[in-house]
Amino acid sequence: MNSLAQQIAPQLADALIVSSSGGTVRGADLRNTGVALDIGADTRIALKLHDPLDVVRALAALDGQVKAVLLLSHALAPETALVLAQIAGCTFFVSDMMPKGADGISVRPLETVFGPHRRQDPQPTEWLMTTSGTTGIPKIVPHTLRSLARSVYRFSRDSDQSALPVWGLLYDPTRFAGLQVVLQALIGGGRLAVIDTTLPLADQVTALADHGCTHLSATPTLWRRLMMVPGHGRLPLHQVTLGGEIADQPTLNALRAAFPAARLSHIYASTEAGVGFSVTDGLAGFPQSYLDKAPGNVRLKIEDDILWLRPPVTALVAGLPGIEVDAAGYVRSGDRVSLDGGRVMFMGRENGLINIGGVKVYPETVEAVVKTVAGVALVQVSAKRSPVTGALVVAEVQLDVGADPDTTRRLIQEVCRARLDREAVPAIIRFVAGFATNAAGKLVRTGG
Amino acid sequence: MSQLENDIRRVFAEVWVLEKGSTSPTLMADTILLDTGLDSLGFAIFVSSLDEALGFDPFTLAEDAFYPQTFSEFVAFYERYQPKT
Repeated sequence: MNSLAQQIAPQLADALIVSSSGGTVRGADLRNTGVALDIGADTRIALKLHDPLDVVRALAALDGQVKAVLLLSHALAPETALVLAQIAGCTFFVSDMMPKGADGISVRPLETVFGPHRRQDPQPTEWLMTTSGTTGIPKIVPHTLRSLARSVYRFSRDSDQSALPVWGLLYDPTRFAGLQVVLQALIGGGRLAVIDTTLPLADQVTALADHGCTHLSATPTLWRRLMMVPGHGRLPLHQVTLGGEIADQPTLNALRAAFPAARLSHIYASTEAGVGFSVTDGLAGFPQSYLDKAPGNVRLKIEDDILWLRPPVTALVAGLPGIEVDAAGYVRSGDRVSLDGGRVMFMGRENGLINIGGVKVYPETVEAVVKTVAGVALVQVSAKRSPVTGALVVAEVQLDVGADPDTTRRLIQEVCRARLDREAVPAIIRFVAGFATNAAGKLVRTGG
Repeated sequence: MSQLENDIRRVFAEVWVLEKGSTSPTLMADTILLDTGLDSLGFAIFVSSLDEALGFDPFTLAEDAFYPQTFSEFVAFYERYQPKT
C-alpha cells in the first residue's frame, strides 16, 4: 500500500493547495517530505493544529512512517484532546495550540517532525478519527488511508490542467467530511482551495470564486445559507456535494436551480463506517434497489427500521466501545429509515440524537441541565424541524407549583447558555401542564 | 408598514437581543440578511420564532425552496404565504 505522499497525484506540481489567507503548498513538497530521525515506526502521534495546510503537511509526512496518527480538531478542548491522546496511546502531540502535555505525552511544534528520514517501504499507518457530538469524550474510530480513500475518484493523469477540479475546503480537515475533500483533491488529482471559515460567508464565497472553485462539499444547512449570499451563482461549480445531515428535497431542488450545470451528489457517510454511498439523481433518500446492490461494493440492510452498512474496506473490529458491528461485518448506523415509493428515506436518529446543522445534540444532556433550574418540575427535550438548520432543540417544561413562567424561562436560558454548546440551548421553550409517562414511570419520548 | 412587517421586525429584535445581547440593527428594505450578523442558528431561531408568533412558516409551506437575500424579499415571502383571513 502506497503512502499518502506516494499517492499524491502528479498532475499538479505547483500550488497544489492554496489558502485564502495566502499560504501555498506545492505537490512536490508533500511528495518529498520525510520525518525526523527520532520518530520511529512504532510512534503514535496526536495532531492538533490550527492551519489546515499544516494538517495536510503533517499527514503527508507521517503516513506510512509511524504506527498511528490521531487527528484532533483544533476546536477540541485541550483537556479532552489530552484524554483522547492517552486513550490512543500517543507519546506526543504535534501542536501549535496545546498549552502543555501530561505524564508521558510531550508537545512539539510541527517543524520538528520534518526531517530526512523516509522508509522506502511504507508501513500501514492507523488514522484515528474522532466522532463529533456535544457530550462527553468523542469516540475514537480507527481507519486506514485505504478505508478513507476508498471512494476517491481519480482524474486522468493526461487531463488538461484547466480541466482538473478545484476543491473548496470549508470543513475542518481533521473531521471525516473535511478529510474526504482533502484526499479527493490530493489523491484524485486537483487543487485544494482552503477557505478561512471565520470570514463572513459572502467573503468566503468571493474567495471560492476567486480561486475558481469547481467542486464544493458542504452540509445542507451551509448550502441553504450559501444560497442567501447575493451573487452565489457566479461560483463555477461542476459538482455540488451535500453531506453531514439529511438532504431534503426542497434543498436539492433549490441547488439544482441555483447551479444548473453542476452534478448534484448527496453523500451518505459516517465517521464509523466511512463513505457509504452517494446519490446523484437529485432526489432525497436513496433508491430501494441499493438494498440489493449499492454503488461502490457497499452492502446495505435494514433491520428494525435501522440502516446497517458493510463497507468493502474497514479498519473496524468487533468490540470497539460505542460502535456496533454484527457477525457479518455490518455496522449499525443509528439512522432510522422508512420505505416510500421505491426510495429509502432517512427519518432521523434512533436514539433521539438531534442534528442541528451538522452539530449533534443528545436530548438527555439538555434535559439534565434544564432539570437543575429552579422552578422546573419536569422537562422533555425534542427536535423541531427547521427549514434553516434541519432541526432545533425544543424544551417542554412542566413548572413547579407556583413557579413564574417568565422568570423560569429566563433562568433556563441563562443556565443552558452557561453550561451547553450554543446549538444545544433550547431555541424554543414551551410550558405544558403535564407529560405522558410509560408503565415504568418514564417520560415517553416521541419523534426524533 | 404592514402589521406583518411590524411583527417580523419585533421578533427579529427579540431574537437579536437573546442571541447577541445588544440592541438590534435597523432593518432597511435592501439590508442583506446575511450581513445583519445572525448566523445559521440565529436565523433558524428567527424563522422558528416567527412560526410560533405568526402561526405559519413560508419556508415549510412553499413548494419550491426560496432563499430571500434582502429584508424586503423576506417580508414579501411572508406576505405571499400569509394565511388569508
